[in-house]
Amino acid sequence: MSSKSNSASRSKRSLKSTSSNPSSSSNHSADGKRKKTDQKTLGMAWGANSRPSSRTAFRNSPFTDFGSYMAVKNQKLHEQFDAAASSSSHSGSSSGNIFYGVSIFVDGYTVPSSQELRGYMLKYGGRFENYFSRHRVTHIICSNLPDSKIKNLRAFSGGLPVVKPAWLLDSVAANKLLSWTPYQLDQLAAENCNQAKLSAFFTLQNNDAPEIANNSVDDCDNQLLIKKDEGRVSLEQTERCNREQIDHLQLKTDRVMSEEPSCSVESSCEVKGLEQSDCSPLDRKNSDLENKSSPCKASVSHCSNSPHNQNSCEASSSRICLPTNQRHSTLSDPNFVENYFKSSRLHFIGTWRNRYRKRFPSLSNGITSGVSGLYTAGSSHKTAVANEKNVVIHIDMDCFFVSVVIRNHPELQGKPVAVCHSDNPRGTAEISSANYPAREYGVRAGMFVKDAKSRCPQLVIVPYDFGAYEMVADQFYDILHNHCNKVQAVSCDEAFLDVSESEMGDHELLASIIRKEILNTTGCTASAGIAENMLMARLATKTAKPDGQFYIPTGKVDDYLYTLPVKALPGIGHVLEEKLKNKQIRTCGQLRSITKESLQKDFGMKTGEMLWNYSRGIDNRLVGVIQESKSIGAEVNWGVRFNNANDAQHFLKNLCKEVALRLQGCGVQGRAFTLKIKKKKSDAGEPVKYMGCGDCENLSHTITIPMATDDVGVLQRLATQLFGHFHIDVGDIRGVGLQVSKLEGADDSKCGNKRNSILPWVSSTSVKDKNQNQISDLPKLGESDAWRPSSGVLRQPSSGIKESSTETRAGLSSSETGTHNSSVLPPLQDLDVAVIESLPPEVVSEINEMYGGKLLGFISASKSKIIDINTHAASTKSCEDSGVAVEGTGSLSGAHLVESNMVATDKVMKWDKEEDPNYAAPATLSRRHIMPSSLSQVDSSVFRELPEELRKDIIEHLAHHEGPEYVKGAFSDVSDKQTEVEASDLSGLWIGNPPKWVKKFQISNCGLLTIFAEVYQSGSGSCLSSLLQCLMSRILTGGGADGFGNAVSWLHELFKQYIDLKITTDVEEIYVCICLLRRLTGRSEYLLQVYNAIIPHLQASMGENYGGTLCIPSL
Amino acid sequence: MERKDNQTPQGEIARILVEFLEVAITSVVFLKGVYPNGAFERRRYMNLVVHKARHPQLYEYIHVAVNGLLAFLTKDLIDRVAVVFLDDGGLPIERFVFKLNVNQSYSSKVQQADLEFSLRSFLIKLPLSEPLTKILPPNCRWEIMAYFRALPQASTSKDAEMWIPSDAKQWQQPAVITPIKSMSSEPLRVQVYAEDPNPSAPKN
Repeated sequence: MSSKSNSASRSKRSLKSTSSNPSSSSNHSADGKRKKTDQKTLGMAWGANSRPSSRTAFRNSPFTDFGSYMAVKNQKLHEQFDAAASSSSHSGSSSGNIFYGVSIFVDGYTVPSSQELRGYMLKYGGRFENYFSRHRVTHIICSNLPDSKIKNLRAFSGGLPVVKPAWLLDSVAANKLLSWTPYQLDQLAAENCNQAKLSAFFTLQNNDAPEIANNSVDDCDNQLLIKKDEGRVSLEQTERCNREQIDHLQLKTDRVMSEEPSCSVESSCEVKGLEQSDCSPLDRKNSDLENKSSPCKASVSHCSNSPHNQNSCEASSSRICLPTNQRHSTLSDPNFVENYFKSSRLHFIGTWRNRYRKRFPSLSNGITSGVSGLYTAGSSHKTAVANEKNVVIHIDMDCFFVSVVIRNHPELQGKPVAVCHSDNPRGTAEISSANYPAREYGVRAGMFVKDAKSRCPQLVIVPYDFGAYEMVADQFYDILHNHCNKVQAVSCDEAFLDVSESEMGDHELLASIIRKEILNTTGCTASAGIAENMLMARLATKTAKPDGQFYIPTGKVDDYLYTLPVKALPGIGHVLEEKLKNKQIRTCGQLRSITKESLQKDFGMKTGEMLWNYSRGIDNRLVGVIQESKSIGAEVNWGVRFNNANDAQHFLKNLCKEVALRLQGCGVQGRAFTLKIKKKKSDAGEPVKYMGCGDCENLSHTITIPMATDDVGVLQRLATQLFGHFHIDVGDIRGVGLQVSKLEGADDSKCGNKRNSILPWVSSTSVKDKNQNQISDLPKLGESDAWRPSSGVLRQPSSGIKESSTETRAGLSSSETGTHNSSVLPPLQDLDVAVIESLPPEVVSEINEMYGGKLLGFISASKSKIIDINTHAASTKSCEDSGVAVEGTGSLSGAHLVESNMVATDKVMKWDKEEDPNYAAPATLSRRHIMPSSLSQVDSSVFRELPEELRKDIIEHLAHHEGPEYVKGAFSDVSDKQTEVEASDLSGLWIGNPPKWVKKFQISNCGLLTIFAEVYQSGSGSCLSSLLQCLMSRILTGGGADGFGNAVSWLHELFKQYIDLKITTDVEEIYVCICLLRRLTGRSEYLLQVYNAIIPHLQASMGENYGGTLCIPSL
Repeated sequence: MERKDNQTPQGEIARILVEFLEVAITSVVFLKGVYPNGAFERRRYMNLVVHKARHPQLYEYIHVAVNGLLAFLTKDLIDRVAVVFLDDGGLPIERFVFKLNVNQSYSSKVQQADLEFSLRSFLIKLPLSEPLTKILPPNCRWEIMAYFRALPQASTSKDAEMWIPSDAKQWQQPAVITPIKSMSSEPLRVQVYAEDPNPSAPKN
C-alpha cells in the first residue's frame, strides 16, 4: 500500500479517514491557529463503515487496528517525502523555499497532475500530503468540486483554502508565494466576493494617520504568531499564510462564525489598522477583497495570541451558527452605528431636511410667515375652496438616485440601471431605485437584486453616490428658490412651488424653464405637475413622468379625477385600497358618490374627510407649511448581531451618540424615550436577506422624564435602563432603535424645565428662607400656597419680568391642581406656557373659562392674602408684552391674577375685621406656611408609597417649617359671642347635599369649624379625605377657649359618623382620612383631641366589620 | 346554568369579577415574589400590563379556583376571597383579602366598560401599594381561600365541589389591616386590603 500512483482515488478515502484519526484530534490543542476549524464530521462515519472490511485485511498484520496502521503509514510517507525533498533541494538549492510552511493536499483531477504538484512542493520547500489532515494540510488544491462538496464545503475542507493549481504554478513563476485569494476556486469565489460591502464605504473615509501605528501593532502580532508556529516560518510568510488561512475561513458558506466571543475592542482596533494598511495601495475592487479578509484575520490572530481562549471559543462556535460574515455586523465593527448611517440611503433622505433648513434658513422661515400673512383671510375659514388664482407647481426629479449616478456615464443612458448597495446577482440586497428602462422590465424598488436580475439579466447595478446626491439636491433647490420665493421642500428631489404671485403669467412656461434649467445644471431630468393645489399638482406630475410636465386646469379637475384609481391618491395605501375595493370603489368617481358622513363613519373622522376632499380634488394645504417633526430617532435593523451584553451596550452607546447628534442637529430636546427592539422569533431561522432582520417580534419600552434633554450621557443612561426592561437574550436581537419624542425646542426648554424639574422643588427649601429675607421686594410672591415651585424666580431676581410671569402662572396652576386633580381637564401645570401664549385670544379665553370658575374658587379658599400690587401689575404687563391680549378675562394668566388679586383683597378686608391688630403680620404667617402647603400638593396615598428615605426627607422639611409656636398660633380674640348651638342636634351630619354639618359648622363661631365648612364649600368634593387634604394647605385656627369643647365634640361626631358611613364600603377612604387627620394633629390641638377620641371607635368598628385593626403607619 | 346566569346583570358582573380576580390574584402572587419572575409572562388586560402565570399548573390553579366562584358570586354568596401566604408551619404570614359585594337587586344592564374601568384602578394600585412590594421570605406557600356567607349546597354546581372546607390555622390576635384600594359602584363593591398578624408599625 505504499504506491502513490493511485493516490487520487485513495486520497478521497483518506480525506475522511484521517479526520477520525484520534492522534490528529489530540494534536489540535497545541495548534492554536486553527483551533476552531477542528470538527469531527464525516470521518467517524467512514471509519465505522469501513472498519469491518479493512479488519479482514489487517487481521494478521502487526497493527492492532486501522488507526495505528494509518499513523504508521503517514509517518512513512512523510519520511519518504522528506528524503526526496532533501535530495531535490540539494540538487537545486537556488530554488529556495517559496512554499515554506505550505502543505498541500490535492483533491481529484488536476492539471498539472498531483504528482507534478508534489514535485513542485518537493523542490520549493513545501509539503505534500497524501492523506488529508486538517492539522498538516494548509491548502487544498483542486480544479473542480462536485456540488455536494460545495454545499458542504466546511465538512469537506475543514475550513482550509480551496485553491486552483494555477496558484502553485504562478507562485513558482514569480518565485515567491502569491496570495492565494485570486486563485480560489471559482465556484466558491463567486459566492463571496461580488458584493460591495459597507466596509468598502467605511475605509474610504478613514484617514491614513493611524496606519503606521497600527502597522507596528500588526507586526507585533505576527511576531507572536511565529512563536506559536514553533519558529518554523519566517516573519513574512507567517503573515501571508496566516492571512490565507484566515481568508479561507470566510470562504465557508455555512460558516460557523462568532468564534470569538471575546473579540474585544482591542482586537477590533487591530481590524481597523489592518484594513487601512492593506487596502491603501490597492484599487477599490481589491480593497473590497482585502477588507473582507481583515476582520477575520484580526480576530484569528487575536485568538492565536491567547490560546487559553480556545475552549470557550469552541464552545460558543458550536452553539452559535451564523452563516454570515460578522464583519458587517455590530460584532466586528466598533463604529458600526456611525458607518451604518453613513451609507444608508434612508438616513440620507431623513437627515436631508436638516441640511436643507440650514442651507435656506431664512427662506424656509420667510415662506412660512409670508404665507400665513398672505392667507390670513383665507385660512381663518379653511373650508373655502382653493382660490382660482392659486397655482401650484410640483417638481419631482425623475428616478433621482439613479439618474444622478448615471448622468456622467453616457454609455448607461437608456439601459436598465438600478441603484443598490451590492452587485451580487445572487445577493439579497434591495434595489432602492431603478430607472425607467429598468422599470419596463418590472424592476421595482425594494426588490432583491437576484429577483431583479432574473427579470432583467442586463440590469446594471450602480452603487450610491451620496456626495453627488447632496450636490444635485442643493443645485435643484437653488434653481427653485431662484424662480419662486415660496418653496416647500418635500424631499431631496421633490418640492412644491406656489407661483400664484409669480409675475410670469404663463405657469406652464415657467415650469418648462425650471425643468430646462435643472437639466442643464444637474444633468438630470425633472417632471412637473401644475394645478390649483398641491394634491392636483402632485397627481399631474404622475401623469407627466418621465421628463414631462402636465397642467390640470381647474375646469378639468373633475374629469381627471373621475377615472383615476383611488390608489393613485396620496394617503391611500394597500389597506385602505383593499377596504375601498370591498365596497366596490375603485375610482375617485365612485368614491365621490359616497357622503362625507358615511366615509367618516367607515374610515374615521380624518381619513373620511381626506377621502371626501381628495376625491373632489380639494386640498386646503398651503405651500410652505412645514410640519415640525414629532419625534427624532435612529434605528438599525440590518447587521445587528450581538454575542454578549457588552456588544449590546457598546452598540447602544453608539446609537445614543447618533440620536444625540440628530437632536442637537435639529435643535430640540426630548422628554419621552422609546427603545425599540426587534427580537428574532424563536422559530425564525436566518433571514433571507443577508444580515437582515428576518421575522421579528417588535418590542418597545418607553420612559418619560420630566426634563427634556439631548445629552448623550442621559440618553445612554436611559437607553441602558430601557434595555434592561426587555430581559431578552442579546443573541436574539436583530434590530435596535431609539426614538425621542415629546420634543421641545432647546431654547424654550431652558426656561420650561425649571418648573418640570424636581431639583428646585427639593432644593429650594433652605434656599427659600434665605432668599425671602434677602429679596425684600419680592416676598409676596412666596406667600401663596403653591409658590414653592417658583423659587426659580426668587433665586434669579434679575431674570426678567417675563420669566417671573411664567413662573407665576406655573405657581397658580399647581395650586389649582391641588383641589382639582380629579377633574377631566389636564392639570394646568401640564400645559405648555409657550403654547398658550401662541394660541389665539379666543381660544385662550375659552380655556380660561374651562378652568376659570374652579380656579377662582380655589383661590378664594387659598391662603394668599395679599398679592403685591406691583408684582401683579408687572406680570400682567409682561403678559401683554409676551403677546397675550388681556381683554377682560381674555388672558389666562392675567385674568387669573386679577381674580385672585380681587379675591385676596376681599379676604384681607374680611380678615382685618376679625384680626387683632397686634397680631403678626400676614407676611410672617404666610412664610411659615410655605412648606406644609407644598406638601399638601402631594397625594397622601402616593406619599405613603414613597420610599422610606424620601418620605423622611420630605417630613424633615415639613418639620423644619413648622415651628411649634405656629401650631398654637390661634387667633386670640375671635369674637366672643359664643353661639350656643345645641350640642344635642348632632345626628345625621352627613345627610343631605351639602351635608348637614356644613351649615352647622358655618354658623358656629369656632374658627376651626368654619374653616371646615369653608373648604367644603370651596369645592373640596364630598369626601372627607379631599377636604382634609385641602386643610393641609390652610392655617388652622382654633376657636376660642370657650369653643374648644364644642369644636372637638362636633368634629369627633363628624368623623365618627363618616366612619360609620364608610366602614363597610370604603375602608380605603377611612384610612386616608385617618392618615390625614393624624398629620393634621401636629398643627392643631383640637384635631389631636379629635384624633385621639376617634381612634378607639374606628378600631372597634374595624374589628366588627373586618376582624382586625386598621394599620396606622407611623409618620 | 351558567349561561342563564350570564344573562342576568349579576351573572354578567360575576363574569367580569371572576376575570378580574384571576388577573388580580396572579398579580398578587407575582408581586409577592413567591415564584421567580420568569414564571410569568407579560400580558395586556384592560389596557394595562399584567402578568399571567406561565406554568400550566399555577395557571390552572388560579383559573379553576376563581372560576369555581362564578356561581356563588352571581348569588353574592361570597363575602371575601383571600390570597393567603403561609410559612413552613402552615401559619399565615400575610393575607390579601378581596372583599366583594354584588348588588342582588341591581337589575338594569351592566355597563361592562364602566365596571372594567373601575376595576382597572385596582390593578394599577396593586403593584404600587406598600404591602405588596414587600417580598416574602423563602419557602412560603400560598393558597386561595374564599369566605362564604352561607355554606354552599354540594349540588349547586360542579365547580363548587372543587372548593373544600379550609383547615387553615388562624391568627390568635386580630389582624392589622392595611387598606389597598376600595371601589364602590352601583352594582359592585370591591375592596382590597392586606392583613398582617404582627403590627409592623406601633399602634398609636
